[in-house]
Amino acid sequence: MFDFCLHVLTLACLYGLMALALNLQAGYAGLLNFGHIAFVGVGAYAVGIGRLAGWPLPLSMLAGVACAMLLGVAVARLGRNLASDYWGIATLAVAEIVRIVVLNQSGMAGGAQGISALPGPLDALPETAQPLAFAVLGLFAVALAAWLSARLAASRFGRALRLLREQPALASCLGYDLGRLKRSATLASAAVAALAGSLLAGYTHFVSPDYLLAAQTFLVWSMLMIGGAGRVAGVLLGTVLVQGVYSFVPLARDLLGLGSETVGALRLGLIGAILLLCLLWRSAGLLPERLRTLP
Amino acid sequence: MLQFLFDTLSRSSDLALIALGLSLVYGLAKFPNIAHVQYAMLGAFASVVLQRAGTPLALALGMASLLAGSLAVLCNLWVFSRLRRQGPAIAMIGSLALAMILVAAALAGHGASPLAYRLPLSAPWVLGPLFVAPNQALAMGVTLAVLLACTWLLLGTRQGRAMRALACNPPLAAAAGLDAERIIHAVHFLGAALAGLGGALLALNTGAYVNLGNDLLLPIFAAAILGGLGNPLGAVFGGLLIALAETLVTNLNIGWLYGQPMAFVPAGYIGAASFVILLLALLLRPYGLFDREVRRV
Repeated sequence: MFDFCLHVLTLACLYGLMALALNLQAGYAGLLNFGHIAFVGVGAYAVGIGRLAGWPLPLSMLAGVACAMLLGVAVARLGRNLASDYWGIATLAVAEIVRIVVLNQSGMAGGAQGISALPGPLDALPETAQPLAFAVLGLFAVALAAWLSARLAASRFGRALRLLREQPALASCLGYDLGRLKRSATLASAAVAALAGSLLAGYTHFVSPDYLLAAQTFLVWSMLMIGGAGRVAGVLLGTVLVQGVYSFVPLARDLLGLGSETVGALRLGLIGAILLLCLLWRSAGLLPERLRTLP
Repeated sequence: MLQFLFDTLSRSSDLALIALGLSLVYGLAKFPNIAHVQYAMLGAFASVVLQRAGTPLALALGMASLLAGSLAVLCNLWVFSRLRRQGPAIAMIGSLALAMILVAAALAGHGASPLAYRLPLSAPWVLGPLFVAPNQALAMGVTLAVLLACTWLLLGTRQGRAMRALACNPPLAAAAGLDAERIIHAVHFLGAALAGLGGALLALNTGAYVNLGNDLLLPIFAAAILGGLGNPLGAVFGGLLIALAETLVTNLNIGWLYGQPMAFVPAGYIGAASFVILLLALLLRPYGLFDREVRRV
């Protein structure tokens, strides 16, 4: 049971990193990125492809971050003259293209089988200490990311991003380059998400095209919207709630004797229902963003 | 060559009704409804279940379409009419939540295995060089008839004119005495009924399965965006273009690139073709192929 709780905690930390990364784009800058998982997948696959190429782990993680940022530039370029909902669809298409490519690249990326026996960042430690150490590493990474994004939100850059979200015309009147702001937000988000992806691949020692399913993006989105987009504490609360539902529904299976298809349906339905109820009654999330108002 | 054209038409008839519905609803509600493709999935299940229970096929198709339409009206009443006031982004995420719930309902109600109509097996008709499955011909015929009916409804009747007026200029339509809420309900019903019928016809070839909606999501959006979201008849041509691309990718012999007599693009990349076209369309023609009125920038 203790091991299971550690596992849930580690996963929650990794998803928390992804949600914080998405928050940089969607929460602060109001960009509807429905292909966020592509960045995570690039990070995860970098570890896998690096293993096949015989690279050391830190180098492949760096390469993953660099590739994800390149993808971020391309995605931001795509959004230069699209309205937000159209950009959402376009990013969804980009993520799906990435998934189809790795699914069909059986030589380089393992195809549908994925790549297994990946190196993890903590392989030097003894086997028994690893779950605990990974949980600590995850907590540390999330705390660092949360601190950084809270700092970012309070900085001039964060204020510019929120202005871009609320009043784009005013932001460009004040001399901000909107395209550049969007690009920087996407780049920062891509780097953090790719890091989360390589940690996830290192933790599970495995990567497959299933890591890139659109449903994963929607999961991260529901964390963001349930907790409260634009506020770090809200995003973390949403992550804990959604990850809790996700991990503890299988426990209910053992208690109530449900089939595995019912469990999948219950997970999906519960998260959808919580998200919908939140949108209807607390559209800013459980912990809404606090905007500073001038007297 | 003839077979190639026929395959393209068959695939585009799969997409046409659902894309038409999506574009119709977008024109009035002004947000991309992700749950729309799930209406097609539910329509497919409803029709297959009814047909297997002994209802005649035509009746099952009609009832599935009505069910999908009624469901969409309820969703609009309870969810979208409230979310729309908070902007398209919130409404889009709301439709995502709804899509999750609908998929979960199908998964809980039936499970992950596909379900096919109980129809007698029939040999394909051989028309010269063409092989035509009777089911395919039936789906294409019904689609064509419904498309013609929709065109007449939109362009030739008072109701259609009211819908177009409201999509074009809501304040002016309201000033002219049109009841916006009632028309929006009617359009949601019509859009989802088309999606339900489209899904039920699609199930003639593929059977009904839980991921039917998710598999359709991007091709349908690509078709609707190519035609210009909010331009219903453009969506049909968008569907034709997507179908042409998908069929071309599967049939194109690229052996000359590798110096071999026969080489084809792997079938796994078919899906990617329509997404690449979507991205190109968004980059090069962000106003859609036909519509210059819809602003996206």
